[in-house]
Amino acid sequence: MSSPATAPADVEWIEGAAVIVDPTGLHARPAVKLTKLAKTFAAAVEVRPDDAAAPWVNAKSPNAVMKMKAAHGAPLHIRAAGDDAADAVAALTALVERNFDA
Amino acid sequence: MTTDAPPDATTDATTGAGLVAALIEAAAATIAAHRDELSELDRAIGDGDHGHNMARGFEALTAAADEIAALPFGKALQKAGTTLVMKVGGASGPLFGSALMAAGKASGDDAPRSAAEVATLLDAAIDAVKSRGKSDVGAKTMLDVLAPVADALRTGGTTAAVREAAAAALEATRPMIATKGRAAFLGERSAGHLDPGARSSALLVDAACTVAERS
Amino acid sequence: MSDNVAIVIVSHSADVAKGAADMVRQMVGDEVKVAFTGGTADGALGTDVAAIMAAIDAVWTQKGVAVLVDLGGAETNTEMAIEMLEDGRGERVAILNAPVVEGAVMAATEASGGSSLEDVRQTAEDFQS
Repeated sequence: MSSPATAPADVEWIEGAAVIVDPTGLHARPAVKLTKLAKTFAAAVEVRPDDAAAPWVNAKSPNAVMKMKAAHGAPLHIRAAGDDAADAVAALTALVERNFDA
Repeated sequence: MTTDAPPDATTDATTGAGLVAALIEAAAATIAAHRDELSELDRAIGDGDHGHNMARGFEALTAAADEIAALPFGKALQKAGTTLVMKVGGASGPLFGSALMAAGKASGDDAPRSAAEVATLLDAAIDAVKSRGKSDVGAKTMLDVLAPVADALRTGGTTAAVREAAAAALEATRPMIATKGRAAFLGERSAGHLDPGARSSALLVDAACTVAERS
Repeated sequence: MSDNVAIVIVSHSADVAKGAADMVRQMVGDEVKVAFTGGTADGALGTDVAAIMAAIDAVWTQKGVAVLVDLGGAETNTEMAIEMLEDGRGERVAILNAPVVEGAVMAATEASGGSSLEDVRQTAEDFQS
């Protein structure tokens, strides 16, 4: 299974967001969980911190997600494009809301 | 030892099997006798286990000597190399083991009959050590003994010349600054100590010369 | 279990190797097989070719095995172990140029989605904390 770094420009993104409740933000263990979950979907999945200027990063890339440094108390933005995009956004949003099952 | 006893195939160094058995016996004996000295050298610039590790490897060779000696010469060297790889531990196992395995691959079924033939096998061994250790002559390693020994053999060296080359080459490692292995962490402080791997290589060369002189 | 690239951790210390493997299991889960080895046959610091071969065997998959190693001798012994694997299996084993703990976690995370050995290597080697 390949993990596209970026989806084609003309795709329809489905977006969602959930607030990161962990006091240390999106640190290593949650980042691993998020990446693993994203990889289970065929859709392109991207995330970005709550900063419109910040770039979307590939949610299937452990390196990209760990480097993103999304802060506690702010929403994590999630978007997906592809056949199972709606499921992907729902699943990732739920994971963040559950505080990554910590 | 009496001189009128009939030659025994396992100890008579003039047969292939006898040569291999005699080499293993002589090598294991010298490593065992110098075990503490090798570890002492290694304590100065490494982690102090070279004698211990080498002794364990050569004990394993001794235990497998009959099986190894029954093989054609090239195969016997390869099997001896594999045994050292598995039993020596530390970085020395793969280095000495790769040397023997490469020499074995370069060898046919018969033992070498001249110094030049031994040099060819040793060259293969040296290449394997360089590649395994990502090293070369001058880095204060076993290569600094093996390469001059190969040169001495190539120039038709007698065992006396080979022993002399090994001893001089070993002593030449003393002022060298290590750039490979654990000793490299010491940098200039590695100067002034003999390299343990060079010392064990010189011991093995010396043991091989003794066997060659008997055959 | 889906067929994912497996991870082998090789350290001079059995405790370090086990600790790194524990971190992988806890952070990534058990869908990525992890084996570890550390220390010599008699319990001292060091690495052991036979033990490294056994660790690779324990998690072997045709999909590939990614190996994380610590200092010098661990790499030398792992290269030796890979060369001694039979039936050309060594071609499906890669030593990753990454720190043991971080590299193992990142490699396992990448592997968990079924990524190729080359993608697993890339992710671990690109990691910067």
